[in-house]
Amino acid sequence: MTKLSDPNNYDYAPYQGRPKIEWPNGARVAFWVAPNIEFYELAPPPSPTRSVWYRPEPDVINYSMRDYGNRVGFNRMADVMAKYNVRGSVSLNVAVCDHYPEIIERCCELDWELFSHGVYNTRYMYNMTEDQQREIIRDSRETIKRASGQDLAGWLSPAISNQETTQDLLAEEGIKYTLDLFHDDQPMPVKTRNPSRFVSVPYMMETNDVPVLNFKNISPRNYLQLIKDHFDQLYEEGAESGTVMCIPLHPYLIGQPHRLSILDEALKYITGHDKVWLATAREIAAHFEANYYDSFTNWMKPFNTVVSQ
Amino acid sequence: MSSYLPDSVTPDARIDADYFNYPHRRKGLDHDRFDRRFLRDMPVRNWTDGSRLKLWVTVHFEHFPMDMPAKPFVPPGGMDRPYPSVWDFSTRDYGNRVGIFRLFKVLDKYGIKATAAMNSVVAQRYPYLLQEILRRDWEVAAAGTDMGHLFHGQMDPAAEVALVQESFSTLRSLSGQAVTGWHSPAFSQSAQTPDLVAAEGGKWIADWINDDMPYAFRTSAGDLTQMPLSWDLSDHKILHNQNMAIPDYEWQINGAFAALDAESKTEGARILSLSLSPWIIAQPSRIRALDRMLGQFLGNEGVSHATGEALRSDWVAMGGNA
Repeated sequence: MTKLSDPNNYDYAPYQGRPKIEWPNGARVAFWVAPNIEFYELAPPPSPTRSVWYRPEPDVINYSMRDYGNRVGFNRMADVMAKYNVRGSVSLNVAVCDHYPEIIERCCELDWELFSHGVYNTRYMYNMTEDQQREIIRDSRETIKRASGQDLAGWLSPAISNQETTQDLLAEEGIKYTLDLFHDDQPMPVKTRNPSRFVSVPYMMETNDVPVLNFKNISPRNYLQLIKDHFDQLYEEGAESGTVMCIPLHPYLIGQPHRLSILDEALKYITGHDKVWLATAREIAAHFEANYYDSFTNWMKPFNTVVSQ
Repeated sequence: MSSYLPDSVTPDARIDADYFNYPHRRKGLDHDRFDRRFLRDMPVRNWTDGSRLKLWVTVHFEHFPMDMPAKPFVPPGGMDRPYPSVWDFSTRDYGNRVGIFRLFKVLDKYGIKATAAMNSVVAQRYPYLLQEILRRDWEVAAAGTDMGHLFHGQMDPAAEVALVQESFSTLRSLSGQAVTGWHSPAFSQSAQTPDLVAAEGGKWIADWINDDMPYAFRTSAGDLTQMPLSWDLSDHKILHNQNMAIPDYEWQINGAFAALDAESKTEGARILSLSLSPWIIAQPSRIRALDRMLGQFLGNEGVSHATGEALRSDWVAMGGNA
């Protein structure tokens, strides 16, 4: 297997002197929330590349920790978001449409966007052929359409298990934006093997409750401060050119009684600013594609001339 | 967090068509142990004594053998350092000698009867400690034999049967109690552990961390009640695994109390599970935080406390498992 040294999904674009992004109504920050609504299987088939569970199956503690989100955490999280009129853009394991249709119904009632996070979070895209990846994309598109009537526009690879060709295939399958790239605080054109107008929308691991609370062991109250600090900086920079802020959430973490207040306080703080666009990822991608895709593409060209000596 | 890499990585491997079969993809869960439930949809009802929010204090009595195996995984609180790790061993044993007596004082002050989730070896090694537990009329629940004998999917089924029986029979014999509760060491079960617990006459387990309230759990020997023992909010996870300081522990417990107290006013009965290890929470620098919080919580109208079995039987009587 020949490995790539660079994903080749984007060109270099320095964070100064860029074309100015103007969000609707003069907003400085396009703010979006990405609840990850997931289903982890108790006994998934093995992947050749990644262990699914951490303990011998059944990994009761890890399976049940995630199941909490669907049984308990989701409704609490959704209540807080509704209180501040913040719509979710759901990173959805589409099998949830089958297992827990009531959750999808409530998402639709709240006018949330559904995008695909694969079928299950225990089925990775590793080792898939292009046709197999297309099968997952097709399944996602059809399942979301059936459950919600929505057209699938966005993609976050299940468990971030993307392949070398995933972004090319997403563009070819008509997906509008990807969340797999963590290289920028503004939307960006994505390079694909065939011409496309595929957009990267910032999805932020720095503010994602899983890495913050589970991997880095940052305390909940410091997580709240982190969110406020992150927002303050992007709000200030957004006066020059529009920025994006995303808070990726998992109802099994944020919907716990000892963490729910983080979300309430964070949304109170952010929605208390007047130059914030409360957007969905689909809306952010569409606004960028319609207004800035070409200007960014042209502006970036001089920075991507390879110097030989 | 363990590595994502499996024992052998085969990047050139292809996955076959079976990977696109989803045999459980339908309304409901992907196993038949319990039903789907949204906590939000539960009928609004208080506990039978009229209280809304019950504190369930569980104290873990654990024995960590210095020669405990590292396979198939080291449980939380297992030996961190090379054998012989006297540091790790004696730090944990501190809880059964010193910490617990500090904890007794605080819980006695509020009249709290706790659930003692015991490795049966602790009852055998420290009969005086068991006497002190029984004198307070605490509930004894079975928690395996010791922390070096985990229940997991790769163990010999016959050996597992023997371990479950040994835990229950030792604790019943030494305590004189019915011992109806079970907590697997490290929240780790094999696929048959709940069946074995029910076969031994257990009535509740506390290993699945997917709900804030009890629910019915099917076994081959009749239904158990799965009780919401906290792991995320335990002193073990926050103070030991995550290395947080006591103000961060206190902030989280207080937050959980506030959220559940508010929820119980509109949605009915709730449990706040305080899962405590004497070698962790009962250190001199930490015990006062617990004292402070219990005093604040129990000063609220509608807040009381109960043991695991008392909560289970109340819950079943309320129709909670129906």
